Amino acid sequence: MSKTNTNQPSPKNILSWFNPIGKQTGGLAFILNRVTAIGLTLYLYVHLIVLGQLANGPEAYDGFVSLMNHPIIIFGELLIVAAGIMHGLNGVRIILTTFGIGVTHQKLQFYILMGIALIVILIFAVRMFNA
Amino acid sequence: MPETNSNTENFPPSENSGVWLVKIITGPFLIILLLIHFIVNHFIGQNGLLSYTDVINYYKNPIIPIMEILFLVTVIFHSSFGIRGIILDLRPTREMMKIIDIFLIVTSVTAIVYGTWLVITIASIR
Amino acid sequence: MSDIKWNITLKIYRQKENEPSHYQDFFIEVDPDEYVLDAIERVWAFQDRTLVFRHACHHSTCGACGMRVDGVEKLTCITSIRSVTKDGATLKVEPLRNFPVVSDLAVNMGSLYARMETVKARSILPITEAEIETPKSEWNNTDDQYIRLSDCIECGLCISACPSAATSPTYLGPAVLAGAQANGNPIDPSLVKLLDSEDGLWRCHSAFECTAVCPSNVDPGRRIMNLRTQVISDNFHKLFHKTQGKTDE
Repeated sequence: MSKTNTNQPSPKNILSWFNPIGKQTGGLAFILNRVTAIGLTLYLYVHLIVLGQLANGPEAYDGFVSLMNHPIIIFGELLIVAAGIMHGLNGVRIILTTFGIGVTHQKLQFYILMGIALIVILIFAVRMFNA
Repeated sequence: MPETNSNTENFPPSENSGVWLVKIITGPFLIILLLIHFIVNHFIGQNGLLSYTDVINYYKNPIIPIMEILFLVTVIFHSSFGIRGIILDLRPTREMMKIIDIFLIVTSVTAIVYGTWLVITIASIR
Repeated sequence: MSDIKWNITLKIYRQKENEPSHYQDFFIEVDPDEYVLDAIERVWAFQDRTLVFRHACHHSTCGACGMRVDGVEKLTCITSIRSVTKDGATLKVEPLRNFPVVSDLAVNMGSLYARMETVKARSILPITEAEIETPKSEWNNTDDQYIRLSDCIECGLCISACPSAATSPTYLGPAVLAGAQANGNPIDPSLVKLLDSEDGLWRCHSAFECTAVCPSNVDPGRRIMNLRTQVISDNFHKLFHKTQGKTDE
């Protein structure tokens, strides 16, 4: 039987993970979890390095913090908060469904958990931008 | 015949329920620890971010350095195993996976050692 | 069938051996209550006899006509044109993902069938295993009075939709894991190492796209989760008995 080499599973299809076309609720949750996972991991290591400023004394650290008071940076920090909360609650969905809790209602579970996430993120957004 | 056999026939599995359990056990701990971390850093701080003095005062409470080190170890485990899972989705060869594992172990250990040193340094400042 | 006629464009994926793939447009008049497969068959019959696609039973039993319709996996014999497009619109039809293309819309499903054999998936199941009840601790062939055909028609839609199957050539895939789960408890010892591995249960990341596209009520996502619970529970028991053995020495 003739066959072509196209269309086969391959690491080259990596971008298909992030393509929302054709994906339903759970597939979008997958994209969200993966994007937040990678984003948070990158931020984690940058954050650890940046915190080294603390060891350089008050002038160095407070100087750095004053730079961070820019609205764009605060927005970036809010994105990190959002990513952390969404990834965490999506993880809760993964744990619950794995143990059979609500597995037939996994879409509803996702909506509820992301609803909670949105509320928490909004609370943080208000606090962070009003400070 | 298309490839159907798994690498596990001749080698131990590169991922199993134990690896997954590390991720889902560290996960809920992180939800709590991260929430505390976010609240302290973005809610309680006067200007939405803690100053140097705020941080030093915060670390004077002995529970805080212990919590932060536990937080660091938990998050490094969770993220390293998580990233490893993402890489395994790309099905690297066994040799490639060994190199990736070494890289992940080195970065994780470095991060934990560095982070612990930093926490102890800050907590020691009076 | 009504008297209403729609004029639609089928944008069909074409791929012949040693040629680059491309999309070809076919304009066709359809009854919106016909099925996508009917339209494809008419394109073949009256417009292009080189179009290759797979079809058989026409009533969602054989699993042959699985394709991607506007990016979503469907059994085209039960997908009405009205449900996926409108008059004057273009409908994109592509082969399933994650299987090598044989020609145009027909893919080589060999890997799926071979893996179903590897996990000894059965087509006839006792009612409890077919319906994902809590697996009994031991299943005996004579235990259950009632048996039925397994829901899985091996159409491959779940494997096409699965994001993990897109990048991992050796991942067993939702249909195969669901087939292994339906064999009941305890898990065949020869399969545990395969299931509890990077090519088995742990490649699943709970996207549940498999469940979303399954036309046959298999609910592969739920079966994978159930199998995970079994494997974790079995591993705990093994660990406990090993520890017990050590303290008894």
